[in-house]
Amino acid sequence: MEFKLIITLLSLAFAAFLVFKEIRRADKARLTWRLISSVLMVASFALLILPITYSVKKEEPAYEMNLLTPGVSIDSVSAIKGPKFDLDSSLFPSKRNLKINHIPDLAYFLKAHPEIKKVNVYGDGLEDAQLQALSNYQRSFHPSANPTGVIAANWPKKLNASEDLTVQGAYNNQTNQSVWLKLRGLGANLDSVEVMPNAKINFSLQTKPKQSGKAVYQLISLQKSDTLSADPIPFEVVKKQAIRVLILASFPDFEYKFIKKWLFENGYPVAFRSQISKNKFSTDFLNTKATNLNQINQSMLKNIDVVVIDDQELTSISSSDKAAIYGAVNNGMGLIVRVTNAKADGTKQSFGSYEVLPSTEKPAGLKSTDGFKFNSLPFTQTLFLKLAGNHQPIITDEPGKVVVNSQISGMGKILTSSISSTYQWQLGGKPADYGEFWSMLFAKSSRKKIENQSIEIQPQFPSVNEKLRIIVDLANQKLPKLTIDGTDISPRQNIELPFEWDGFYWPKRSGWANATINQESSSIYIYQKSDWLSVKSMLKQSKNFNFIKNQERKNWKSSKIEYSAEEEISKWWFLLLFLATSAFLWYELRVLANK
Amino acid sequence: MLKTEGRNWIERFRWKWIALYFAQIAFLSLAIAFILLIIIALCYPYTFEIWHLILAFSAVLICFVLLKPTWKINSADVAKYLNTKFVQLEESAELFLKPKSELTLLEQLQVEKINQHLPIPGSLNEAWKKLALCLAFLLITLGGVVLMDKYYWYEQVIEDIFPTPSKANQIKEVILPEIESCQLRIAPPSYTRRAERTQKQFTLKAETGAKISWSIKTNGSVKKLRIIFNDKNAWNLSTSDHLNWNFSRVISQSGFYQLELNGKKSDLYQMEVIPDFPVRIKITQPKPHTTIDIGQAARVILDVTLTDDYGISETYISATMASGKGEGVSFTEKKLNFGVEVNNKTNIKLNKLIDLKSLGMKPGDELYFFVQAKDNHGQSSRSDVYFVSIVDTTELMSMAGMTNGVNLVPEYFRSQRQIIIDTEKLLKEQGSLSPAEFKNRSNTLGIDQKLLRLRYGQFLGEESETEIGGDHEHEEGDRHEEEKFGDAQAIADKYSHKHDVAEDATFFEPEMKAQLKAVLAEMWTSELRLRTYKPQEALPFEYKALRLLKDLQQKSRAYVAKTTVKTSKLKLEKRLTGELDKITEPVQNATFEQKNRSIDDLKILLSVLENKKTGKSFSLGERQLLRDGEKQLIVLASSQPLSYLAALKSLRKISTSNVANLKDVESVQKAIQKLIGFEPLKPQAKVAGPDVNLYRSYFNHLKNAGR
Repeated sequence: MEFKLIITLLSLAFAAFLVFKEIRRADKARLTWRLISSVLMVASFALLILPITYSVKKEEPAYEMNLLTPGVSIDSVSAIKGPKFDLDSSLFPSKRNLKINHIPDLAYFLKAHPEIKKVNVYGDGLEDAQLQALSNYQRSFHPSANPTGVIAANWPKKLNASEDLTVQGAYNNQTNQSVWLKLRGLGANLDSVEVMPNAKINFSLQTKPKQSGKAVYQLISLQKSDTLSADPIPFEVVKKQAIRVLILASFPDFEYKFIKKWLFENGYPVAFRSQISKNKFSTDFLNTKATNLNQINQSMLKNIDVVVIDDQELTSISSSDKAAIYGAVNNGMGLIVRVTNAKADGTKQSFGSYEVLPSTEKPAGLKSTDGFKFNSLPFTQTLFLKLAGNHQPIITDEPGKVVVNSQISGMGKILTSSISSTYQWQLGGKPADYGEFWSMLFAKSSRKKIENQSIEIQPQFPSVNEKLRIIVDLANQKLPKLTIDGTDISPRQNIELPFEWDGFYWPKRSGWANATINQESSSIYIYQKSDWLSVKSMLKQSKNFNFIKNQERKNWKSSKIEYSAEEEISKWWFLLLFLATSAFLWYELRVLANK
Repeated sequence: MLKTEGRNWIERFRWKWIALYFAQIAFLSLAIAFILLIIIALCYPYTFEIWHLILAFSAVLICFVLLKPTWKINSADVAKYLNTKFVQLEESAELFLKPKSELTLLEQLQVEKINQHLPIPGSLNEAWKKLALCLAFLLITLGGVVLMDKYYWYEQVIEDIFPTPSKANQIKEVILPEIESCQLRIAPPSYTRRAERTQKQFTLKAETGAKISWSIKTNGSVKKLRIIFNDKNAWNLSTSDHLNWNFSRVISQSGFYQLELNGKKSDLYQMEVIPDFPVRIKITQPKPHTTIDIGQAARVILDVTLTDDYGISETYISATMASGKGEGVSFTEKKLNFGVEVNNKTNIKLNKLIDLKSLGMKPGDELYFFVQAKDNHGQSSRSDVYFVSIVDTTELMSMAGMTNGVNLVPEYFRSQRQIIIDTEKLLKEQGSLSPAEFKNRSNTLGIDQKLLRLRYGQFLGEESETEIGGDHEHEEGDRHEEEKFGDAQAIADKYSHKHDVAEDATFFEPEMKAQLKAVLAEMWTSELRLRTYKPQEALPFEYKALRLLKDLQQKSRAYVAKTTVKTSKLKLEKRLTGELDKITEPVQNATFEQKNRSIDDLKILLSVLENKKTGKSFSLGERQLLRDGEKQLIVLASSQPLSYLAALKSLRKISTSNVANLKDVESVQKAIQKLIGFEPLKPQAKVAGPDVNLYRSYFNHLKNAGR
């Protein structure tokens, strides 16, 4: 203000002086012109120093802001109208001409600009906390194209010994060359699949892990010799869950002999009873303590996970024994019934009927309903099971006739098998098929082991310096003591499910971390920020998408808004005027006045 | 006076000449000796030493001297030579040599005349020229040797000639710093007919039974140098001056070894044995089972390819003929030679025409043969047994099979036989028949054959559509059936082309069906020949059809003898009423103790190593696991060094150093994975989280509410 005033006063004084001089000049020619020129010259000079602003009315898309998040392609940025902002200044470091403004904090920025009513999010989307800030805004989401890479992946974090590790997921290949996906672990390539150019496939890689304990395998995507990505697959192999088996045989045949031996050598507790005469039994107790098996009662069956029985024995045992077995099944025990004879009566009601087909020409191969194919057995299967309403086929032959089925009874399961000589696999040097067959039957029927506690970690890939939510399910409802790597975590109880507790943790370093719940420890894996990037961005996109989809369907009016803005008149005009007027005065003095 | 002068000159000339000649052959011999050595170096692994050169030089020189005994040149020869070379002497040089008293006057005058020209200038020019040429040759050779030595030394040549197949040879070895140099001489056993070779690295690959000699030079005096094989057997190296050490051993098994220098152990070096396989025999002709039908030439062409690693020493065909029937079968064995010398070749193609007639085989006889071969190491191998049988036509024609047992389709068999008999009769009578009559009868036979074929077609369930050679006839015109209105099935039948499926029409086994089809095919070919008036050509097919039918007949007969079993009748009321109180109930009790925990230990070791990747150091228990794992790897590495030795080295590196190299860890893990092998699935109880309790109580409430 001061400066302006001084300039104005000085200019006025100077103008007055010039006017006075012009009037006092002897030669009065062109006086009016000279006066006008002088005044204009001084005025334009003053205006060169002092800017002239004026207000105008302007229009812009109403209350909108465009947020650019990672994943946005630079080409698409220029097509976005309206003001553009990003939350990460390192996103477009060299693109100054795109006029992207940086917002250090979204929530603060939105508070400071209440006029913003709509937020358009471009790219992979925002983090959870940032999304919460947008809950009162109209929002739209423009996700970036699916990235090349693994866009979904999952695998069991904990395996029992001898179980297969199956890594499943989806891969999106946007390039013009094929990509090899390799599962690598313990120094060897274990499984691989090829992804064709410009294709999106669901993959399933499988291996039988050899280690016991923790290990980090890798999923590597290769294009020729370039490694596109290498993401860790951490998991843990724990000791096998023993199954306590009771075998009730009408007479000891080869099938029983082999099952018994197989279970015994693998260290499972087995009790075996076979009738030798009326009410006389021969009993074997393998890896377990001897008890009296002559009478079967509920309390004894509480310690048994699976009972294997053949149809003849099932018809001949006393009704109290039978009731005890069925009662135990209803409480969660498993029952495997071996059907050897189609004529066995009394079982038809409970286990469905059988059909005997004329011998087919060659021994049929077997397959399980979940896709495993067995090597064919060297005999012809003629006895098949008929499916009733509540029966689930487990194993069928090639044309689809059922040989093993399952039905639910209370909390337990009853499996019926019409294959009588699976030991032929063992004799034929195919222990893998034998193991697969009986493992399937035992696993499908066995009583479930209930853990005291279980852990769940959110998000799917907890990373360093990112919030991690640990959810703990407990058998009792006492307050658990939770620590991760020695850091105490304050648990919070779920309002609706009293056995569920959760807590939060910010991991500092990557790798295996030790989570302890009531002195019982389990391992969780903390990923690096750079692991599973494409999956993470896909997850983020879907989360954002859901968030945007769930917004209330208010009728937001997307109109244009007028606002006044100060505009400055360009100083070039004044310079031109100044030059013109001073040139005239000079010319007049030197040329015209001397004539 | 003058006379002696001339004589002396000639004498001097002779000496000079001989001296120059010796100089020439000396240069030449040196050059040739160099060339010889280079040729040897190119062909064999060779290290140059100066006495080699001296030896070669003297050998060549002696050859030259013996071939052209220059020292024997006498003065008369010289005079003769001079006469031919120099006109000035006017053919009279001999005169100088004659004693003066013997010279005639004329001769004296002549002597005086030519004496003026002596000594002849440039008389030795030619010898000098030759000497210069020899010198030039020597210089060129020397130049070549220098260039060879610089750019094409023999090791490179060795690598070109004996390319090292395994990458192991390029592996950089860690050698004890005390060892200045080493040389391994590998002498393959004689049967391989391979030359001895030397190498400068410790990792070795040699033929079974090769003798390996190590000569190691240390850069300082060493007290004791030992060589340890497979981490078990140690041997001292022999030495005279504690600087140069020698050891040799015949190796017959793969493994590894290391050196121990004053108690300091070196890296492990791989020792791979190339085994000698027995001869591989591949018979390309004939097929395993050959049947010679009537009309075919009774001979078999045998084509064999034999391959061996080092050489085949012997091969022959062992043939066994079986003749006769039933209990009267007699066998004769014969050894047939290919009639070609195998001469220790490594790859040979042999063929032999076995004339069955000359072997004395009659129709109905069978020949079994196989090819036996022996390699030069004395390992013998033999091929599968091949069968050749000549069909007995009299057997086919006999009725023996028809008169007893199941008479399935006798009529048809007779018919086929009848056709054969008729064809043979027709051929016999061909001379006495007019061509038209002959053709007519041939055609009639063809029609008979067709009828027979169609009947068999029915037998197979063929309709005319799928029958072989049959044509499709559906007379559309003569359909005068009663129209059935409202019968949807009838209408559908009218427009749909319904056939029984031939495959399912009869209850024959597929194998039988296939054979029946083959019969039909033969019949069809036979019919074709008959219809084109070539009964002679039809005959083999007729016979073949008959033979196949005969086989079919034999196959369809399965006869089980009846046996009578007489059992006393059971008294049902007495069953299960015996006294059982003295029967004890057996109880077996057993607990499985896993004796071999090595696999489990290895599994734990795997995750221990996985932990090591993140840089953790080993605990005491983990070190024990490492040692156990190492023991197992040593056993394996000694039998399969190629797959396990690298892992063993890495394991040692890991266990000694604090910071583990990721590559080492991975290589050990890979080897252990291979070691553990396949593990069948074992049953596992399913695990449910504690939340199951909620569902369970819900379930129980539901159940109770339902009651």
